[in-house]
Amino acid sequence: MNLKSSLAIALTLVAAPVLAQQSTINVALNADIRSTNPGVNRDDNTDAVVLHMVEGLVGYRENGAVAPLLAESIAVSPDGLTYTFTLRKGVKFHNGAVMTSADVLWNWNRYMDAKTDWRCRAEFDGRTGMKVTSVDAPDPSTFVMKLEKPSAMFLDTMARTDCAMVAIIHKDSVKADGSWDRPIGTGPFTLGEWRRGEFVSLKRFDGYVSPPGEQRDGYVGRKRALVPEVKFLSIADGATIKAGLMSGALHVADIPDSDVPEMKKIPNLEVMSAPSATKHAFLFQTRDALLGDVRMRQAIAAALDLDQIVAHTSNELGKTNNSAIYVSSPYYSDVQRQRYSQDLAKVKKLLAEAGYKGQPIKLVANKRSTVPSFPAAVVAQAMLQAAGINSEIEVLEWATQLDRYAKGNFQMMSFSYSARIDPAQSYNQFSGPKDAFPSKAWDSRRADELIEKATLVGDPAERQKLFDELHKLMLAEAPLIFLYNQVDTAGVSRKLRGFAPWVAGKPRLWEVSFAN
Amino acid sequence: MLRFALTRILMALPTLFIVAVSVFVLIRLIPGDPAQLMLGDLADPASLADLRARLGLDRSLPMQFAIWFGNLLQGDLGQSINSQQAVLPLIAQRFFISAQVVLVAVLFACLVAVPAGVIAAWRQNSSLDLTLVGLATLLLSIPTFWLGLLLLLFFGLKLEWLPVVGYVSIGEDTTRGILYLVMPILTLFLHEIGVILRMARASTLEVLRLDYITHARAKGLSEGAVLWRHAFKNAFGPTWTLIGLVLGNLLGGIAVVETVFTIPGLGRLLVDSIFARDYPVIQGCLLFVAFTYVLVNLVIDLCYPIFDPRVTAE
Repeated sequence: MNLKSSLAIALTLVAAPVLAQQSTINVALNADIRSTNPGVNRDDNTDAVVLHMVEGLVGYRENGAVAPLLAESIAVSPDGLTYTFTLRKGVKFHNGAVMTSADVLWNWNRYMDAKTDWRCRAEFDGRTGMKVTSVDAPDPSTFVMKLEKPSAMFLDTMARTDCAMVAIIHKDSVKADGSWDRPIGTGPFTLGEWRRGEFVSLKRFDGYVSPPGEQRDGYVGRKRALVPEVKFLSIADGATIKAGLMSGALHVADIPDSDVPEMKKIPNLEVMSAPSATKHAFLFQTRDALLGDVRMRQAIAAALDLDQIVAHTSNELGKTNNSAIYVSSPYYSDVQRQRYSQDLAKVKKLLAEAGYKGQPIKLVANKRSTVPSFPAAVVAQAMLQAAGINSEIEVLEWATQLDRYAKGNFQMMSFSYSARIDPAQSYNQFSGPKDAFPSKAWDSRRADELIEKATLVGDPAERQKLFDELHKLMLAEAPLIFLYNQVDTAGVSRKLRGFAPWVAGKPRLWEVSFAN
Repeated sequence: MLRFALTRILMALPTLFIVAVSVFVLIRLIPGDPAQLMLGDLADPASLADLRARLGLDRSLPMQFAIWFGNLLQGDLGQSINSQQAVLPLIAQRFFISAQVVLVAVLFACLVAVPAGVIAAWRQNSSLDLTLVGLATLLLSIPTFWLGLLLLLFFGLKLEWLPVVGYVSIGEDTTRGILYLVMPILTLFLHEIGVILRMARASTLEVLRLDYITHARAKGLSEGAVLWRHAFKNAFGPTWTLIGLVLGNLLGGIAVVETVFTIPGLGRLLVDSIFARDYPVIQGCLLFVAFTYVLVNLVIDLCYPIFDPRVTAE
């Protein structure tokens, strides 16, 4: 045996325990989580991890509809003002305590306390329209919430992942002084260890009581933890993630669209994708001297071959969608399919009518690998130039771009909106008065009226009419151009069974196991 | 010696103060708001104002500086906006991880590169010299991130000898900890060999041309004695200075290597904090880096008399 062989055997023997941890699913995150406190000091990665440990009264189903989670049933009074949640029986916290309505009440009061810094407090205290006027726990399995006025978005807001589904945690999750300790929730996994900058390890909760259902269904349905441990590793470098997937050290990781063809050739990997509700768009500053003219915005929309932009930036995975509603939503009607089409003759006519004399249009973009901001801007710029519209790209680092977005300080911007499942919430992301909210792209009184109505009306048919009218209005006024919904693509080890990406764009590791 | 060290430390204080002020001002000149980043694309002005007030970002800049500097004088670098952790322990924890990679890599690089540089100078223009110089130039030219990825590909993916992602501390599991450190150390080691070898060769060449070397040879001393006893001691000064600069630089952050090999070190902490506009951590890290740089170079200066008796602390 030569020296090289001996060294190889020795290293492999020593490395074996490192390389083969079949009881642990290793998932890559592109950055560390911010905290373990549900809905407080959070981002997308944080929500993804924390929602394995905690649950709310309601959650999203696979198609984005809201369904009971810790609640068994929800009764709404005829006037739409009172919501009565009947809790599921026998649900236990990670410390073994049984969940009751007293816990729900304690959680609600904690969330609505300004000291908690809950991200969604403004959504429920009247600052953004909806106001919960009272809450009550008349018996251990009943929780009642009363609203100031009816809201079609109440349950959807309760289910929002950035609100941590209004997670119900045990009182011992916070220290005696009220500061955060660790999540003692009701989810299928408990917190094992969090090493900042390295990993978060979640352990299976053996006392977990799964919601009813024969299969996994979004955040509801069957939610059994089938492996003893899930480890979320913080890995910032895309090339390292790729190497981790190829070597088998990682079992699940998001991969950029550009890597899909290469990853598909790797025999031990399966590439899975699903459209999410995240929206990529070109925003216009409608108060800009040049782009304030709707004919200029329409000219730009007509200058772009959107299918080509989407095919290029998503590596042919995405599908053009000019609607604010994601494609698998029940509200995605034929009207929502109406879209802009490239028409160079129309561009010429509109530019002439608007008196365009070749003034440059600055298109702001960033180079984050997780969004198509820059590649979309590059292709669009070429198309605009070809159509006689002088455009320049200004590349900014993300924090700077976000600052400019918040101040409305741009002419045109290649931007991505985070996922919102309910259409009214989706419209709320970009529509509103610019004087109060400079980041809003669309400042239209009629649009605001329609959105306001959609937040109050519960009847789906009635809401559909409102959303359809909004879509037509948006296409006509062109305050922004939605390109497509993000396609979440994950490289998944063939050793795993049961993993699937979905519309919320967050990994779920329950009902996932190793094959044999 | 003690007086010299104290004087040098006192001289470093104005430097550190200038660093503190510059970092504080410069990081705030860059557009971007940590509160905005925390709330994301849906931040409404009321929530943003609340969060800014809670983080103390609504105060005037001089007030913010006064509070931060007052705490700094008491040894408190503040609290991370992102993780809410105290900054000083966070830096100490991350620095220890970076330091073990850097110190081992530089030590091995010195052990290989210094003798190789001296030998290359001794055999100037020979095939050995050309090979060593060529190799050093090649190693110096390869960017560390690419070298790291090549090592990952070869040892991690092709041979499957070493783990590709993750980190285990040596204190927790010595064997696994070492396995995780092999590639990052090898990456830095290979890169620094190039830097140190070239300097060792150049400074030895300079000394070998001096009259006293000719005189030593004329006295009939062996080449080994000429080289190690007479040439090396005098030629090592510039290389030693360079080693100090290299150490100071690397201890301040090896963000690229740490990112490629998923090591939770100081460099990655600094880069992540800049992207998140985590002001207290950025300020703390940069101040710590400046302090480390000053300290390492002080130690280097204090070591000069060991190699060259003509140099004294006085």
